[in-house]
Amino acid sequence: MQPTLSPRTLLIRIITAGAFLVLVMLLCSLVGPQAISWKAVMHGPAGPADANPDYEIFVHFRVPRILLAALVGAALAGAGVVFQALLRNPLADPYILGISSGAGLGAMVAVVSGLSWTLWGRSPIAVFAFAGALGTVWLVWGIGRFAGKYHVTGLLLAGVVVNAFFSALIMFLASVAKTEQLYATMFWLMGNMLEEDFLVLWVGGGCVTAGIVGLFFLSPKLNVISVGYDDARSVGVCVERIELAAFAISAFITAVAVSLSGLIGFVGLIIPHAVRLVFGPDHRQLLPLSSLGGAMFLVVADTVARMVVAPAQLPVGVITALVGGPFFLILLIRYSRKVYWLT
Amino acid sequence: MGKWWLLLAVLVLWLACGYAMLKPQETDGSPDVRRSCKPLRIVSMAPNLTEILFALGLDERIVGVTQDSDYPPPALTKPRVGTFWQPSIEAVIATRPDLVVTLAFQQHRELTRRLRRIGYDCLAVDIVKIDDLFSAIAAIGEATAANEQAQQLSRHIKTQVQRFQEATAGLPKVKVLWVVQREPLRIAPRDTFINEMIELAGGENAVGPTLRNYPPIGAEQVIAAAPQVIIEPVMVPRSPDTQRRQAFAYWQRFANVPAVANKRIYVIDGDVVSRLGPRLPVGVEIIAKCLRPELFGD
Repeated sequence: MQPTLSPRTLLIRIITAGAFLVLVMLLCSLVGPQAISWKAVMHGPAGPADANPDYEIFVHFRVPRILLAALVGAALAGAGVVFQALLRNPLADPYILGISSGAGLGAMVAVVSGLSWTLWGRSPIAVFAFAGALGTVWLVWGIGRFAGKYHVTGLLLAGVVVNAFFSALIMFLASVAKTEQLYATMFWLMGNMLEEDFLVLWVGGGCVTAGIVGLFFLSPKLNVISVGYDDARSVGVCVERIELAAFAISAFITAVAVSLSGLIGFVGLIIPHAVRLVFGPDHRQLLPLSSLGGAMFLVVADTVARMVVAPAQLPVGVITALVGGPFFLILLIRYSRKVYWLT
Repeated sequence: MGKWWLLLAVLVLWLACGYAMLKPQETDGSPDVRRSCKPLRIVSMAPNLTEILFALGLDERIVGVTQDSDYPPPALTKPRVGTFWQPSIEAVIATRPDLVVTLAFQQHRELTRRLRRIGYDCLAVDIVKIDDLFSAIAAIGEATAANEQAQQLSRHIKTQVQRFQEATAGLPKVKVLWVVQREPLRIAPRDTFINEMIELAGGENAVGPTLRNYPPIGAEQVIAAAPQVIIEPVMVPRSPDTQRRQAFAYWQRFANVPAVANKRIYVIDGDVVSRLGPRLPVGVEIIAKCLRPELFGD
């Protein structure tokens, strides 16, 4: 067994990781396809007569985009931890219960129907994707609960089947859509990082942070549940309620992330595993460190995506898989002797 | 239970603060009118827009083009601002444009929204069919104070194109299958500007109306359509010769189709016929030569 985790160690680790995250974000905000000078940025906004492109790029595009990447990375990695614990399945990620195809279907419907209104500054794609994600996860949850009251296989199967069904619907819509609409959705499906309004970031940031804090409240119970339902019940944990709360919160923050940036794979799968390999399986620590790690990882991946083929950019999902895959394999080999997986 | 209520309260307070401090922005309203009467720094977001801007004689005032803008040759020396599909907004702003010309479709609409939000001037034109080309030229002329040149350009294109229409008037239409992709087989259908170009060149689409644009079609439909001519624009990374060889090999499986039996399979320059711009007459001429080599051949 790992030595027990003292609150002090936990706090120190969280603060260190947080400091690292801030450092990474600062460094990445100075890197981009356009070289910008720090001095020009500090000059502040220019008058209407002459523009200050350095300041505009930094404040209106780079900072919001990096905040967004951090937000999405934290949400996906945090939700990944919870899904892996609740489903007791190392292959689980935030998308496993149909969120991805639900969101994808929502986005596709929005694009094909050609709507063009905005809701609080959000495009129809984002709104429909959010609704699709949440709707699907509740559908799967409902079916899974109905099918198998005391085991997760029903839930997983429901997720897989709903995923496949909605993917087929997406394909159908894709084959009747106009070509240019199709391309627009494809970029969205591959993960589409754009800078956002500060208000959107503010609201998204609030929701995701609150969600992660809420999950943190639940993490001692998750430790027990991830061992097994019967054991959890025997030590007096109300499994159903904890499960429902954890599911609801993680589905919610995943849906927020997806509606902000499209489908970005891999973060929710490998970051929790990587943190678990290095720091052990205690959820009180796993959850906050994974969130911070996910944020860091996505900020770096997005910076690479912005840089690598500049002035064009790659979908960030390509980078998360390309960079994340080998990195994870190295960790797996290096730490495999002390793996506890999900026990 | 207490900590949960506290968390909820903090969240609500946080959201309320956000709405109070940062008012929701309505960015989809009317475009802001900061338009200078004569923009001096113009950025083009599509290869055909670049061609139009150059044709209007705005060479000196163009400060940014997309990666794929390779015509006319001076465009190659202009700074690049990302690709048509993946524009780089940072690169656009770094050129300090006072007019960004975009196309009116999803990917560019997003770009336009983001640029307008921080006060950059954008002109979005919709070029889907040939008629749109003329209104787009007029709109760009209007926005760049080049009305005179715009009218001239439109007139020039129209007269050039009419030549082919007049030369083929009264002649039977040649049935054309326009192939955009071989595996799976996808073709240009009726509701496209390519179809309009085929008709201007004295041909007609071998395939009837379809549900969507550039659909995949089956072998049966190819045989039923019985095209007299098959045209394949060059698909980018391949050389025309390789593609021609492959095309002849591929079409042998439809040996009974008239176009194949008479060896009337043409591989032509993809850029000229896929960018709806000032080179429209050149494209129509290339197609006309494929359809009636006896009439238009050199």
